Amino acid sequence: MTMQTFKEWFFTTDHKRIGIMYLVGSMAAFVVAGLMALLIRLEQSNLGPTITDNPNEYNSWLYFHGAAMVLAFLIPGLTGFFANYFLPLMIGAQDVAFPRINAFSIWLFYGAIILAMLSFVIPDPPDVMWTGYPPYSISTTSNTAFYVFTLHLLGFSSVLGAVNFLVTVIYMRAPGMKWNQLNIFTWTTVAAFVLQLIFIPVLASAVTMLLFDKYLGTNFFNPEAGGDVLLYQNLFWFYSHPAVYVIFLPACGILFEIFATMCKNRVFNYKACVYGGIWGIVGISGFVWVHHLYVSGMPDWLRIGQMVTTLLISVPVGLLVMSMWGTLYKGAITFNTGMLYAVSCLFLVLSGGLTGIPLALTAITIHLSETSFVHAHFHFIMAMFSAFAMFAGIYYWFPKMFGRFADGPWATTGFIFNIVGVHVTFIPLFIIGVEGMPRRYWDYQMFPQFEPYHQVATVGAFMVATGMAITILNWVRAAFKGKVAPENPWKSCSMEWTHAPNCPQAGNFPNPPSVTDDWSPYGYDDREANMAATTDPGFPAQVKPAE
Amino acid sequence: MRTLLGKMSLSILGLIAAAPAFAQEDGYERDPAAGWDYLWHEIVIDITVIGIIFSIAAIWMVWKYRTKDENAVGTAPKLSKAAAIAWVLIPASLFMADDFFLSAKGWTLWNDYRRIPDEAKEIRVTAYQWYWEFDYGDEIITEELVVPKGQPIVLRMTSEDVLHSLYIPGFRVKEDVMPGRVTYVWFNPKEVGEYVHTCTEYCGTAHAEMATNVRVVEQEEYDAWFEQVKEEAKAASLNDNTQG
Amino acid sequence: MSTESSHAHEHHWEWSQAPFWVVTGVFFLVPLTFAAYFQYQDPLLAAIFAGLGTPMLLAGIAMWVNEGLTVKPLIADVAGVGLPIFIVSEIFIFLSFFATYWMMRLGAESWPPEGTPDFPVTLPLIMTVVLVSSSITIHVAEEKYEHDDQAGFRKWLMITMALGFIFVGMTFYEYNHLFHQDFYPDTNAFGTVFFSLTGFHASHVIGGLGIFVCVLIPAFKGMTNKTFITCASVYWHFVDVVWFFVVSQIYFW
Ligand code: HEA
Ligand code: HEA
Ligand code: CUA
Ligand SMILES: [Cu+2]
Repeated sequence: MTMQTFKEWFFTTDHKRIGIMYLVGSMAAFVVAGLMALLIRLEQSNLGPTITDNPNEYNSWLYFHGAAMVLAFLIPGLTGFFANYFLPLMIGAQDVAFPRINAFSIWLFYGAIILAMLSFVIPDPPDVMWTGYPPYSISTTSNTAFYVFTLHLLGFSSVLGAVNFLVTVIYMRAPGMKWNQLNIFTWTTVAAFVLQLIFIPVLASAVTMLLFDKYLGTNFFNPEAGGDVLLYQNLFWFYSHPAVYVIFLPACGILFEIFATMCKNRVFNYKACVYGGIWGIVGISGFVWVHHLYVSGMPDWLRIGQMVTTLLISVPVGLLVMSMWGTLYKGAITFNTGMLYAVSCLFLVLSGGLTGIPLALTAITIHLSETSFVHAHFHFIMAMFSAFAMFAGIYYWFPKMFGRFADGPWATTGFIFNIVGVHVTFIPLFIIGVEGMPRRYWDYQMFPQFEPYHQVATVGAFMVATGMAITILNWVRAAFKGKVAPENPWKSCSMEWTHAPNCPQAGNFPNPPSVTDDWSPYGYDDREANMAATTDPGFPAQVKPAE
Repeated sequence: MRTLLGKMSLSILGLIAAAPAFAQEDGYERDPAAGWDYLWHEIVIDITVIGIIFSIAAIWMVWKYRTKDENAVGTAPKLSKAAAIAWVLIPASLFMADDFFLSAKGWTLWNDYRRIPDEAKEIRVTAYQWYWEFDYGDEIITEELVVPKGQPIVLRMTSEDVLHSLYIPGFRVKEDVMPGRVTYVWFNPKEVGEYVHTCTEYCGTAHAEMATNVRVVEQEEYDAWFEQVKEEAKAASLNDNTQG
Repeated sequence: MSTESSHAHEHHWEWSQAPFWVVTGVFFLVPLTFAAYFQYQDPLLAAIFAGLGTPMLLAGIAMWVNEGLTVKPLIADVAGVGLPIFIVSEIFIFLSFFATYWMMRLGAESWPPEGTPDFPVTLPLIMTVVLVSSSITIHVAEEKYEHDDQAGFRKWLMITMALGFIFVGMTFYEYNHLFHQDFYPDTNAFGTVFFSLTGFHASHVIGGLGIFVCVLIPAFKGMTNKTFITCASVYWHFVDVVWFFVVSQIYFW
């Protein structure tokens, strides 16, 4: 590698290369956090000390696992990698509005990952869990500062990303592209970034107060000096509930792209999906945070009020789901590995989302809160639904990024291990959760009857590990040695496939496209007309069977 | 337009259907734990039904519309404006009907959880890293919670250091215990036995070991136990006094 | 077609070192220095981290400013849109702190809590006047720039900066005064809120001054950019507006 190519990669400001760097970074976070999960599962597999007799060690694994999975794997993977690589291609832009700020965001992200990973080597690693509740996070002797700064770096990175992408979508759409001609993925990304822009500052403020309280002796959360212990939780969840939709929305967006292409169908009830579903979720998401504080002694009117708003989230999510199901209706469905993952997500969104419903009821959560039932709920919706949507997207767009297919027997094997493994892991947690197994327990002497369930879950975790090892190795192999893919192999109508070549070069489009009102990213019913509705015919050849 | 109206009135009917949830069956005994089990059962049925309907629809469509022909295209019709609106209003109303139904049920049970019966006996609880203290009044403090069968108990809880959470799975109660605030839970111990009582808010190193037992005993046994504790407390305080 | 394809050939992979160095600098200067000093109580290590971070940060900023003024952007002038969007985010930071203040104050039995000295009211008024005039002077500077009066632009920019410095100076003067009356951030809930809100605002003023420095230094070399100046001034106006809320809520409520 010459110096020049090194610089062009390492210091790149190109959205596609930054996207790849996000992919690498977030997958690295996933692997390390996944290995932590294996340690957690091993420790819990037997009563009493199993692989460590020091609870603090377990606590810092769990801290890393939770924080890294949510904040360094899913959020950067979905809004960093997918948005960076594909959003400009979908709207026909040559890059994002502020390429240098984009590079700034990726480095902030890497800074955060490095800071988080340092917790394996520093003395007194953070042990405050990803939620960092005071007063514990203030009175502990461990390094809460690193927790705070990790969140600061990631938060700043996301806020700048939000500014960047909002301006990009507003100003850099291909000439003629109306808002109602955007891909659903573009919409979900815009919505996710609106959430990030508004809510991250609140999280940043909350953890800043934590930092001040711990190290500078202020009294934000100190009841003895007029502070409020619950303030932090309110601020934290005011961000962190919307954050779950920062994950959920782009994950759904990816699925919509895959379903539309693999079913060769229009998106069912596009406007209802966008304005009712996506923006409905954004609209309600700021008024439900108290459902994480049902057992925290909040005033009753807040608990009841937000029980109703939380339940009402099922309406916009339901509209989104109706559109997703409707996109299958009368489709012409073909399968690839991406579609396999996507179809499994149809069921995972149900098991993950519907188990949120009992949790939404204050009175029911009195028993379920802080048990492994909650684990099972959010692992189904995050570790399974959202992560699988990511994997689906990686397979689906693999030919775009690397010009090669990643599909094949290994891909399917990995999928089978993954889907079976996650169920074996998390169904036992559902069961013992209802029976009362608490969270964040390195040991459970008072519940010896749960041991067999924990053992099954541990077996499941190792199945996932096998599946993921196969999957990741398969990606690496395919990127260099996979079967070469033709242009637009899945015969999509969406612009990233029709107008940008595989492995798009700098500048993305050989000829910058523009569109007329008749164009749609989902115009399968009359492809020729749809292609004719763009000034640049793209690769008309690929509409006919490609070889 | 006529059909649209019809569909809308149908959905309003659905909303009204939620109303019975507020009505209470006769002979309803106010007991949160039993109420919990009952509502849990209902809600599991509710979400299972929804899940199965959507799953079947998904399986059916993925099966029915699969094809080997790579050049086939989907044939879903473009929705008319009325159809598009109906496809929003009807599902949204149905979902809302279910939401309000569940809200009403949940609210009723919630009131049971919060309204302390008049005859309840009060015990004060203090949490420390990492143990519990139970204050029966009159300076009688124990490290184990013993209660007589059939006597509703209300626990008033506070913490001396960080957040904890008092959790008795057997009685389906849990509430955070915080410094500077007093929270409460109440329960009705109906069966004699030992129940796990543990901490479910992360509180540091020994969070997983902050457990004790709730012992529910017959009234006589309870009285005997209480006398004994009282004696011990007296002896201890005498000791303290004599030792200065 | 040929003209278009030659256009396509102009593209090459863009790169810039500036963001990397800014982040690396910040990484050493903030998390590592802070943790070394406060968590591990090792001032020497903290000094080393700060010593490493500062030059990297400054070099990165210099590179970035230089590139911003010399390299042609993909689309012109959108920074003028990006900044207000970013300010939305800033508004929510201040809102969180204000919300905290309201919660504490309205939940308290008596306010201000014990240990709070009497606050001077003239100083904040003078500070308000200073800050408002600086908003006017930066506007004048912009006018000058639009009329191609480079020297006038620099002059008024420097006047604005001087006012900014005076403002920050007065903040520190007031802090010092309060410290002498034994009023610290950890004295009570009001101390916490007072120092964090005013300190947070002051840090934004300092940030604004930093941006002005980045505008001014190249301006002496004749390198300026309309959008850059507009952004700097919009940011300054924003910081000014926030001050009204700080003053009215903290001093006069
Ligand atoms: C991607 C992440 C994600 C998503 C999308 C969700 C979605 C939802 N979550 Fe979840 N949740 C988490 C991640 C997520 N959650 C995490 C990480 C935690 C724990 C945090 C911690 O403490 O560490 C958590 C915890 C959590 C709690 C707190 C539990 C506790 O600690 O006591 C609650 C309570 O209400 C809740 C509810 C919900 C609800 C109602 C939804 C809804 O949005 C779900 C909506 C979806 C559906 C309902 C299914 C599809 C819809 C239909 C088929 C239509 C018809 C349906 C009906 C009419 C019901 N979640
Ligand atoms: C996106 C989010 C996400 C994901 C994907 C996961 C994935 C997994 N999680 Fe995690 N989890 C959380 C988010 C997530 N989790 C959160 C937020 C918490 C709460 C934390 C808290 O309480 O604060 C939590 C808590 C949590 C607990 C609770 C512990 C406790 O409360 O005491 C457990 C226990 O079983 C667990 C298990 C697992 C397992 C087995 C997986 C598995 O699916 C992981 C599978 C992945 C791997 C095993 C890695 C595979 C890779 C390799 C093996 C490498 C191969 C290498 C090459 C080819 C180079 N998780
Ligand atoms: Cu006490 Cu956990
Ligand atoms: Cu939530």
